[in-house]
Amino acid sequence: MTDERLIEVSDLVFSYPDGTLALRNISLDIYANQFIAFIGQNGSGKTTIAKCLNGLLKPNSGYVKIDNLDTREKGATKKIVTKVGYVFQNPDHQLFNNTIYKEIAYGPRNIGLDEKEVDERVREAANVCGVEESIFQEHPFFLTKGLRQRVSIASILAMRPRTIIVDEPTTGQDLRQSFEVMNFLRNLWEKEGHTIIIITHEMPIVAQYTQRVVALAKGNVLLDGTTREVFAQPELLAQTFVKPPQITRLAQALSKYGIPKDILTVQEMYDAFVIAQGKTSS
Amino acid sequence: MIAVSTQDLGWKYAGRNNFAIEHVNLEIEENTFTSIVGPNEHGKTTLVSCIKGLIPNSFNGVWRGKVEIFGKDTREISAQTLANEIGFVFADPEAQFTSMTVEEELVFGLENIGLPLNEIKDRLEWVTNITLVSDLLDKPPYEISGGQKQRVAIASVLAMKPRIIILDEPTSMLDPLGKDFIFDILTNLKKEQDLTIIVIEHNIEQVAPLSDQIILMYKGNIAKMAPPATFFEDSEFLYEQGINPPMATTFLDQLKRNKLYDGGLPVNLDDAIRAAESLLKPNGYRKGTS
Repeated sequence: MTDERLIEVSDLVFSYPDGTLALRNISLDIYANQFIAFIGQNGSGKTTIAKCLNGLLKPNSGYVKIDNLDTREKGATKKIVTKVGYVFQNPDHQLFNNTIYKEIAYGPRNIGLDEKEVDERVREAANVCGVEESIFQEHPFFLTKGLRQRVSIASILAMRPRTIIVDEPTTGQDLRQSFEVMNFLRNLWEKEGHTIIIITHEMPIVAQYTQRVVALAKGNVLLDGTTREVFAQPELLAQTFVKPPQITRLAQALSKYGIPKDILTVQEMYDAFVIAQGKTSS
Repeated sequence: MIAVSTQDLGWKYAGRNNFAIEHVNLEIEENTFTSIVGPNEHGKTTLVSCIKGLIPNSFNGVWRGKVEIFGKDTREISAQTLANEIGFVFADPEAQFTSMTVEEELVFGLENIGLPLNEIKDRLEWVTNITLVSDLLDKPPYEISGGQKQRVAIASVLAMKPRIIILDEPTSMLDPLGKDFIFDILTNLKKEQDLTIIVIEHNIEQVAPLSDQIILMYKGNIAKMAPPATFFEDSEFLYEQGINPPMATTFLDQLKRNKLYDGGLPVNLDDAIRAAESLLKPNGYRKGTS
């Protein structure tokens, strides 16, 4: 992680046209090469803030700046698509072309790149996402959900954004599929240097993969810190109906025996337990 | 009495080369809670569709073996009887609604079968309490949240008083609060007399403590069928089949493998806390008991 700031959010207020106040006053910075989770109850503002980060929604007051570009500036949206990508929860809401190739090429063509550059980007993005060239002419509709999701991520990657937001990447997926998509996102973070933001309800996934958590409640930032710091505060998290992973809750119930309150994995729990037991039995 | 049994059950969808499920033999005792787990596309929904009679009635394909509901072969009882005996709740509740208010939605089926007014009132009160929907009764079904819709869907199925209720991934599309509500409802359902519950669920941590038995479907077969206390033994095997035991259970299993714990495997957090605590209390570590 570097200290290079990619996105600056300052006193962001947003309400929908029907008057619903979705974001009350949000300030946060997103840095290069972070792996972040936005968590919180439905209606807490997770998806709304994500849509403000990619310029899809504009603040009522306060501002969102991406590489110092205010999202409300004229013509900003066109520049933002190459900086922040947003992957929908349901790939079917995003995929609309009749071949995989056209789907991934859509964005680059839309910003007026020549066909040679478009082709280069499609192949590069598909390669990173494990979408094989042999299926380029197939219809996205007939792929498995996991592959459809990778195609939608490829179509975002083809714009070469540094920040990629993925809305509920594991919802409705089984364990193996969840690990597959999360390992893939981790790869984009570790090897390709992207900043990844996931919006999710799956706390074990958050514990296992992310390094920073932003917990939202009623349109405010409730907690913003390292994953470890955030899960160590179960009372605050309860305000947005989020429970830390089960193993963290077990550790917290045993804290009087010297088990740390910020355990995130079974292995960490095991190691801490053996140490604590050594102390009480001697 | 056995509520559901299958004997060498198999089903191949028309146009497919392989059987979606094959050689499935199981027995579900009445008034028990059974959860079905396993990776997607490994036969969970096909199995419950066979039990409900949606297969073969609404699908083309090749059927093998037999399903019995309370001792009767499903191919020898009418679709109407089968529909009365078994209620079915889908992952996506949207598809099921037709009325202008939640209350109308709930009484629609009851009026349809000609129940007297006082009986309708009693049932409405009963399902409303179990499924926690009393504050939703005068709302239009299309205006409530996904989690609330799922509660109403369960209520409308339950109102018909089926003896067996099947829920196919009732929480998979819900947020944590919505999920917790459904698990509260499942806990209430478990207390009902004369109700056999079958749930397909990925959330093992929350469903395991409620279960009398857990069935793992893998590649169209039953790979494991056991009460929760023994189901999670051999976590390596489960992990290979795409199943993660609850994290606290995995932890105690790891202690057990390393001979640091020799008790039973707890499947809920409170039991796990007690088990771990007994090892941590001064003098709690019983040396030589491994």
